[in-house]
Amino acid sequence: MANEKVDVVIVGAGASGSAFAATLAKAGKKVVLLDSGPDWKNEDLISSEMWGRRIRPAGPPFLHEGKNPFGYVGQAGWGVGGAALHYFANFPRYLPTDFKMKSEHNKGLDWPISYEDVAPYYDKVADEVGVSGDAKSEEIWRPAGKPYPMPPMKVFKAGQIWKKAADSVGMRLVPAAVGMNSVEYKGREACIYDGWCSSGCPTGALANPLVTYLAEARAAKAEVRPMSTVTRVLTNAEGTRAIGVEYFDGKRERQVQEASIVILAAWTGQNPRILLNSATDKHPNGLANKSGLVGKYIMTHHIANAWAMMDEDVQPHMGTVGAQYMSYDRYPKTTNPNAFGSSYIVAGTSFKMHDYAGSRGDLFGPELAAHMKKAAKGLIRMNMFGEEKPNAENRVELVTQKDEFGMPLAKIVHSYDEDAVALWNANIDAGAKVAKATGAKETWSPRGGMPTSHLHGGTIMGKDGGSSVVDSYGQTHDISNLWIAGPGVFPTEGASNPTYTIFAVARRGADQLVSKWGSVAG
Amino acid sequence: MDVLPRRAVMKGGLLAALAFTIGDRVVYLSPGEAHAQGVALRTLKAEEAETLGSLCEALVPDARKAGIVEYIDQQISGPPSEALLQARILNVRPPFANFYRAAVGAVDKGVAARHAGKRFAQLSSDEARSFIKDMQANKIEGWQGPGTGFVYTVLRTDAVDVVYNTVAGYEALGVPYQAHILPPKKW
Ligand SMILES: Cc1cc2nc3c(=O)[nH]c(=O)nc-3n(C[C@H](O)[C@H](O)[C@H](O)COP(=O)(O)OP(=O)(O)OC[C@H]3O[C@@H](n4cnc5c(N)ncnc54)[C@H](O)[C@@H]3O)c2cc1C
Ligand code: SF4
Repeated sequence: MANEKVDVVIVGAGASGSAFAATLAKAGKKVVLLDSGPDWKNEDLISSEMWGRRIRPAGPPFLHEGKNPFGYVGQAGWGVGGAALHYFANFPRYLPTDFKMKSEHNKGLDWPISYEDVAPYYDKVADEVGVSGDAKSEEIWRPAGKPYPMPPMKVFKAGQIWKKAADSVGMRLVPAAVGMNSVEYKGREACIYDGWCSSGCPTGALANPLVTYLAEARAAKAEVRPMSTVTRVLTNAEGTRAIGVEYFDGKRERQVQEASIVILAAWTGQNPRILLNSATDKHPNGLANKSGLVGKYIMTHHIANAWAMMDEDVQPHMGTVGAQYMSYDRYPKTTNPNAFGSSYIVAGTSFKMHDYAGSRGDLFGPELAAHMKKAAKGLIRMNMFGEEKPNAENRVELVTQKDEFGMPLAKIVHSYDEDAVALWNANIDAGAKVAKATGAKETWSPRGGMPTSHLHGGTIMGKDGGSSVVDSYGQTHDISNLWIAGPGVFPTEGASNPTYTIFAVARRGADQLVSKWGSVAG
Repeated sequence: MDVLPRRAVMKGGLLAALAFTIGDRVVYLSPGEAHAQGVALRTLKAEEAETLGSLCEALVPDARKAGIVEYIDQQISGPPSEALLQARILNVRPPFANFYRAAVGAVDKGVAARHAGKRFAQLSSDEARSFIKDMQANKIEGWQGPGTGFVYTVLRTDAVDVVYNTVAGYEALGVPYQAHILPPKKW
């Protein structure tokens, strides 16, 4: 049965897709969101690390290559809510320097917009989804903005220890900005600090799309179609307009959804994969790819961990998986003389069993059992997220193997450059110094493989169609009614966790689409 | 707002009660109960199960009693999209049975090459420890299969799951479980 044509079809009902959907549906547009995974409800968000894995993909459509492969599933979402259904909800902003890497340092790329263009949307998003924190205290590092709508979250012993240690070595920590409720907000409950966030928070205390933008979109009559895997964007015979998408439904039957506007919001790896698989004779290298840049400039944060084992009982299970404290003290991109790039610091999170076990991955047998006992009382951690520069060699490309729908798999090729490796090592040293200052007898900072987190790029924004795939709103340069949302449009990745900026950029793009609807929708 | 009141759904129920088959009946058991009741394995062969059990026991004490073998067997016998395995998070491509078969096969071959045809389960505890240390360091000669360090990580995580990641495991460590929603009995 043919599906009725709609105003907008959005591919992916995660963070960015939901933000676009809410804006467009509230503006009266008929919106359909297609998502390849289940229609998760709050009742599905079971408090268990094991059961929490069901809400992640099984068998990702990506192969991995390069010196530093990206840990795809650990960072990906599957189903309504996307990865933001089970994220940690750390909500730092990008800073002005992130938008101007090329002009300030003659390295990497510039965004076609500046911090000031995004800042009003940071304030809007904070009010819309609910952010807790102390905006004033962040203003030692960034331009002033509105206060957050909720006060900072509670601080537990781990946070207090890191704060004291950081103070003693001259590192400034301030209350972390998080997408969680320190108090009841918009009818959603306050957090009770049990730390189950990354298995999914069923109470609404965590700003996941189910209780924020997707709820708003649904209330404004947007339709969500789960178990609908999009394989191609379809174009007209001339190749000038997107006419809809091809997808496979829960019964694995081929369907077409026509729409005036197509928005890809299936995350950084999948958006290029779909574009490349949508090649036609008019677009032999894939859609929106006249620049040849679809899939290029994939970037991922590296993480440096500093651990300490306290003698006292710090109740490491108390709190949230988001941070209690944050710092931009190492954010200036030239903080380290021989390691270019920003770093963002978080300290004091709650732990579950795999944190205890994973903190010393080398231990097994009786030594592991002894470690688990100690860790359950005394473990604390500080993380530093580090930036890598955009590099066109880091990329997503199609391979010959196919998935169950006959769509080619893709591979993510990723290696860190010398700057990134040096920055990671410098961050480990800096974290180790603070860990020592906690007074713990046992501190350690693993230097095995470089852990990766968050994925950006692949469909970057820029000033023109020669050097980028989309403009600053997400509109593709090549096909005016084909838009892209999510961290894939970021031309640099900063070091801040991306979702606050994903929401802000998507809300800005969606407002623009509404305001120029007549000329874009045709 | 469609959200659940705090702890409203904390009704009890068994953590990780999974569907096992006894005769022609489907019963819901924890992996430890399945082990105690000697539930028949569906996918793993006896030798594979023995290797898996002894390796995981060496990695995490009490893993065998906690039902590691029955857990893995149950998990690799069902649809990957319903699996609770860490292999899922670590980008292992389904079917997951292929990974576990290849992993235990490679362990036994590696042990046989070093210890004159023995299997892992026949090693002394010192021999087992030194083999595991070399697995961690990717130093097993002639190893064929998924990376040694990777196999170590996946199996260690599975064993941590059955020993520690249950309500009983939390209690044993003195950590309050504090669930919003405990896993359902039937799934
Ligand atoms: C454990 C974890 C912790 C995190 N913590 C933080 C944090 O503290 N702070 C932060 O800022 N960020 C965090 N993130 C990252 C954040 O969740 C992501 O950056 C964000 O969700 C990406 O938004 P998105 O809209 O691009 O993709 P997603 O939110 O993942 O949504 C993409 C959607 O597309 C669907 N999809 C994929 N392919 C198809 C297809 N072919 N057809 C149809 N649908 C498809 C998927 O099912 C998914 O629902 C975390 C992520 C994880 C996994
Ligand atoms: S700690 Fe707070 S945000 Fe996290 S799951 Fe519990 S109530 Fe939800």
